[in-house]
Amino acid sequence: MAGASRAGLYARRALAVFIGAAFVFPFYWTVVISLGRPGEFSNFPPVLVPHWDWSNWSRAWHSAPWLRLFGNTVLIASGTVLLCLVTSLLAGFAFGVLRFPGRKFLTLLVLAVLMMPGTVLIIPDYVLANDLHLLNTYWIQIIPWGASVFGIFLVRQFFLTMPAEILDAAALDGASRLRFLRSIGVPMVRPALVIIAINVFLGSWNSFLWPVIMTDSNMESSSTVQPIEVGLSTFANAEGTDFPGLAAAVTFTTLPVMVFFLLLQRQFIRGALSAAGGVRG
Amino acid sequence: MTTATEARQAAAAPSRPRRRGAARDFRATRWGWAYSAPAVLVFLAFVIVPTGYTFYVSLWKWNALNPALSKFKGLGNYRRLWDSTQPAFLSSLWHSLYFTGAMVLGGTALSLALALLLQRGGALLNGSRLAIFLPHATPVIATSMIWTWVFNAKFGLADWVLHSLHLPTSQWLQSSSSAMPAVVVYSLWHEVGFTTVVFLGGLAMLSDELSEAARADGCSAWQEFWHVTWHQLKPVTVFVVAITAITSLQAFTQFYQLANGGPAYATTTLSYLVYQEAFVFSDTGYGAALAVVLFAVTVFFTLVRRRTASGESHALV
Amino acid sequence: MRKRISAAAGLAALALTATACAGGGTSTPKADAGAGTKSGGTSSSSAGGTELAVPTGPVTITFEEAMTIGTLKPAMDKLVSDFQAKYPNITVKLQGEPDYATMYTKEKAEVQAGNAPTIGQAYESWASYFQSSGVLSPISELAGTDSPAAMSTFYKGIQDDLKLPDGKTWMWPFNKSVLILFYNADLMAKDGQSEPKTWDDYASVMKAVSKDGVTGSTIDPGSATAAAFGTQWFEILARANGAALYDKDGTPHLNDPNVVKALQYMKDLKDAGALATGKNYPGETALGAQKGVFDISSAAGYGFENKTVGGKFKLNITALPAGPAGAVNELTGTNIVVFKSASADQKAAAWAFLKFITSPEEQAGWAATSGYLPVTSQALSQPALQDFVAKNPYETAAVSELDTAFALPGFSWIFKCQGYEATAIQEALENGKQPSDALNTAQSACAAAKAQG
Repeated sequence: MAGASRAGLYARRALAVFIGAAFVFPFYWTVVISLGRPGEFSNFPPVLVPHWDWSNWSRAWHSAPWLRLFGNTVLIASGTVLLCLVTSLLAGFAFGVLRFPGRKFLTLLVLAVLMMPGTVLIIPDYVLANDLHLLNTYWIQIIPWGASVFGIFLVRQFFLTMPAEILDAAALDGASRLRFLRSIGVPMVRPALVIIAINVFLGSWNSFLWPVIMTDSNMESSSTVQPIEVGLSTFANAEGTDFPGLAAAVTFTTLPVMVFFLLLQRQFIRGALSAAGGVRG
Repeated sequence: MTTATEARQAAAAPSRPRRRGAARDFRATRWGWAYSAPAVLVFLAFVIVPTGYTFYVSLWKWNALNPALSKFKGLGNYRRLWDSTQPAFLSSLWHSLYFTGAMVLGGTALSLALALLLQRGGALLNGSRLAIFLPHATPVIATSMIWTWVFNAKFGLADWVLHSLHLPTSQWLQSSSSAMPAVVVYSLWHEVGFTTVVFLGGLAMLSDELSEAARADGCSAWQEFWHVTWHQLKPVTVFVVAITAITSLQAFTQFYQLANGGPAYATTTLSYLVYQEAFVFSDTGYGAALAVVLFAVTVFFTLVRRRTASGESHALV
Repeated sequence: MRKRISAAAGLAALALTATACAGGGTSTPKADAGAGTKSGGTSSSSAGGTELAVPTGPVTITFEEAMTIGTLKPAMDKLVSDFQAKYPNITVKLQGEPDYATMYTKEKAEVQAGNAPTIGQAYESWASYFQSSGVLSPISELAGTDSPAAMSTFYKGIQDDLKLPDGKTWMWPFNKSVLILFYNADLMAKDGQSEPKTWDDYASVMKAVSKDGVTGSTIDPGSATAAAFGTQWFEILARANGAALYDKDGTPHLNDPNVVKALQYMKDLKDAGALATGKNYPGETALGAQKGVFDISSAAGYGFENKTVGGKFKLNITALPAGPAGAVNELTGTNIVVFKSASADQKAAAWAFLKFITSPEEQAGWAATSGYLPVTSQALSQPALQDFVAKNPYETAAVSELDTAFALPGFSWIFKCQGYEATAIQEALENGKQPSDALNTAQSACAAAKAQG
C-alpha cells in the first residue's frame, strides 16, 4: 500500500516535471536557435543543443536601440501601473463601500467597458489623441490604460468581503473616508493591489497595436517613445527570414520580463491565489 | 464567506443600532462620484464615447477620411452581415465561439488538472508551477513569433514531436483544418499558467475537514473530488470561465501574428474580422456594425452566465 | 549680417509663393469636385497651368514611407540627403513605418486627424481610396500639367500605373519592381536540369527536382487581407494564359477558363509534391536552407535572397518563364501620392523632391542600393547602375519588362478582390477544393465588392 502510494508520488512528480519542461521548451529552443550557426534552424530533426555562436546576438543587438526601447517600456508600464492602482483603489472603494445615487449605473457602465472590442476604438481614440496633442508621447500610452475594469472589480470584491465591524469602528471613530482608505483600506486590499499591479504591468508590456498607431516609429532616433515589443515587431518585419537574429532579439527582449517574473514570482502567485480568494465572495 | 458575514451582521444588528447608523452615514455620500471619477473619466474619454461613436457610424456607409461623403444606410450594414459570403458572418461567429469554447473547456479542464497535480508540492512541484506560469508573463508578440517556428511544417518542433511519436504530422497553420487548433494550442500554452494558479489558490482554501469526512465515509478519490473538491471550487471555476470567455472572444494579437485570419478564413474570428474590415479594407461602417455585434455577443454570454450562476451577484462578470 | 538679409528675403519669397499658390489651391478642389463625373480635362489643365516653383524659404515636408529595412533604409536616406544637399532650405522628414499594413493604417489615421503627411507611399488601390475621399492633390496641381515632361522618360508600364481609372495622374513612381526567378544553380545542375523558358518547362523541372526532402518551390499564397508574391504569380500565370483577370473598368473575370487553368496548374504542382505553401517569405527561407530550388520574388528582394543564401551555393537569377500569351510580368511596389492638406509651399517642395528622386542620377543610385528597378531607362547609362548591371545581369531583363508589366486597375476594392484570389488559391492548394469552384466563389465575392464600391 505504502509502496503503491510512493510510486504514485514519484509518478506525479515525474509528470509534473515533464509538463513543466514542455512549457519551457519553446523558450529553450529559441535560445538554441539564437546561438546556432546560420542555416541550422531549418534542420530536421531540429538542433537541440546550442552551438554558442553569439554573432546572431550581436547582429540583432546592434540593429535597434534596444536599451532605449526597454527603458520606454519600463517607464510606460510603471506609469500605467501607478495610475491604475490609484483609479482602481478609489473606484473600487466607491463601488464596494459607498452608497450614492447612480452607483448601479456607473457599475454597469464600467462593466460594459470590458465587453467593447478594443480594435475598433483605435481610430476614434487616435483622432482624440491628436486633438489633445498627445500623439507620439508617453502620456498617450499611459493615460488611456490608466483604469482597469478588472482592477476596480477586484478592489470592490475585497471591500465587499470586508467584515462590517471594521467600517462601523471607523465610522464611530469619525475617520474621514480618505483616511480610512489610506490607513485601513490599502493594507486590507494589498493582495488585490499586487495582482492588479502585476496584471497591468504585463498588459502594458504586452500592448502592441496601440503604440504602433499612437507613436511614430523612428528606430534609430534616441528620442523614440515606442516600447520594446513594437521594436521587436519592426525588427521581425525587417529581418523576417533571419531566424537566428530574430530568435536572439526575442530572447533578449523577453529575458527582462522573465527575470522580473522570477524575482517577483512569490507575489505573482500569491496575487493569483488571492484573486481566487477574492472571487469566493 | 458572504453568508458568514451576513450572519455576523444579523447577530450584531439588534445590539448596536447606533453603529449601524454611523456606518450608513459613512457609506452614503455623494462623494462616491468623486471617488469613481478618475477611472470613469478615463473610460468615458477613451472607451465609452468612442463606443457611442461606433454605434453611430455603424448606421452609415462611413467615409472615415471625409465624413461629409458618408451615406446614411440605417441598418444596411447589419443586413450586409447576413449576405456576406467571403467570409460569411456566421462562420466568423462560429470561429469565435469555437475558439472561446475550446479555451473555456480546454483551459478550465487543463488548469484544474494541473492545479490538482501541482498542489501541496515541494520544491520540484514549485518549479513546475513556475514553468507553467512563465509563458503567461511573456508578451504575445514575442511568443507567437516563437510559435510560428514551432508550427513550421518543414522544420518546426511540433512536427518533430509528432514525427518522433510516429504520429501523422500536420500542416498546422498552413491548413484550414489544423490552423484553429494550432492557435488554440498556442493560446492554452500562454494562458493556462494564470488560471492554474487561480485554481491552486482555490484549492489552498478548501476545508480539509470536508475531505477527511468524505474519506471517512469511504468515498473514492474520484468521488471525493467530484462531490467535495469540485463543489467547493465552483466560485473559482465561475471566475476562470468568465475571464477566459471574455478574453477569448476579444483575442486578437495571436490571430494577427500566427495566422492572419487564414488560411481561407479558417481563423477569422469576429474580433479579427472587425480589424480586417475597419482597418485593412477601410470599410468603417461595416466594421463598426461587426464591433457592435461582437459587443452584443459578449454581453449576451455574460448575462447568460450571470443568470445561470445564481448567488454570485457581485462577481466580476 | 548677410545671413540675416538672405533669410528675410527668403521669408518674403515664402510669403509671396504662399499667397500666389493659395488661389490655385482653392480653385483646384472645386475643379476636382466637378471632375468626379465629367472628368473635366480642360478645366484642370487650365486651372493648374503653371508648374510650382521650388520654394526658396525654409520648408519641411513629411514623407510617410516603409523603406526602413535592410538595404532599403540606406538607399532612402541617400535620396533624402542628396536632395537636401541640393536644396538646403527644404527638409524632408521621413516617417518610417515597419511594414505596409501599418503604414496604410497610419496614413488613414493621420488624414482623419487632419495631420496627413505631405507625401506618402501608396499602392494604386490605396490611392484610389484617398482620391475618392477627396484628400489627394493630382500631379497636375504641382506640375501644371497632367503629363509632366519627366513622365515621358518613364517606362511605359510605369506611366500607365500613375493614373487612376478617371484618367488623371494622381501618383508618382517610387519603389517599382517586377517578379523574377531565383534558383539554386547547383541543385539544378546536379539533376541535369536547365533554366525553364516556359511555364510548362517550369512545371516539369519543378517536378524533376522535387525529391529527397527538396520541394521545387514554396510560395506564400497571400491572405484575405494582403496579397503576396504567390498571389501575383497566380495573376501572372493567368495573364500568360491569355486571361484578362480584370477589365479596365474593374469588371472581374476570375472564373475565366484561363484563370482556372492557372490555378489548376498550381494545384497539379502541389499534388505532385513540387509546390508547398508557407508564410513570411517561405520561398526564400526554403531556398536558403537548400530545401527548395526556385523562388519567385521581387527583383528588389535580391539583397535579401543573397543574404539568406549566404554563399552556400550558386544563386542564379533569370526572367520569369513565358506562357502561351507570351512573357507576362506584374508591377510590384508602390507609388507616391501628395496629400491635399499640405501647404502650397510644401507641395512645391514635394514636387521638387519627386522630380529629383526620379532623375536618372538618383534612380541609378537608388536602384543599385535598394534593388528596386529604375523607373527610367536613362538611369541605365549612369555609371552607378552600370556597375550594378555588370555584376547582376538579370537587371537588364527585369528592367525591359517594365514596359509591358501590368498592374491591376486602380480601384479601392481591387484590394479585396486580391484577397479573394488568395483565398481561392488557399482553398485549392490546401483544402482540396476544385479550382473552378474556388474561383467561382472569388468571382462572385469580387463582383459584390465592386458593386459595394
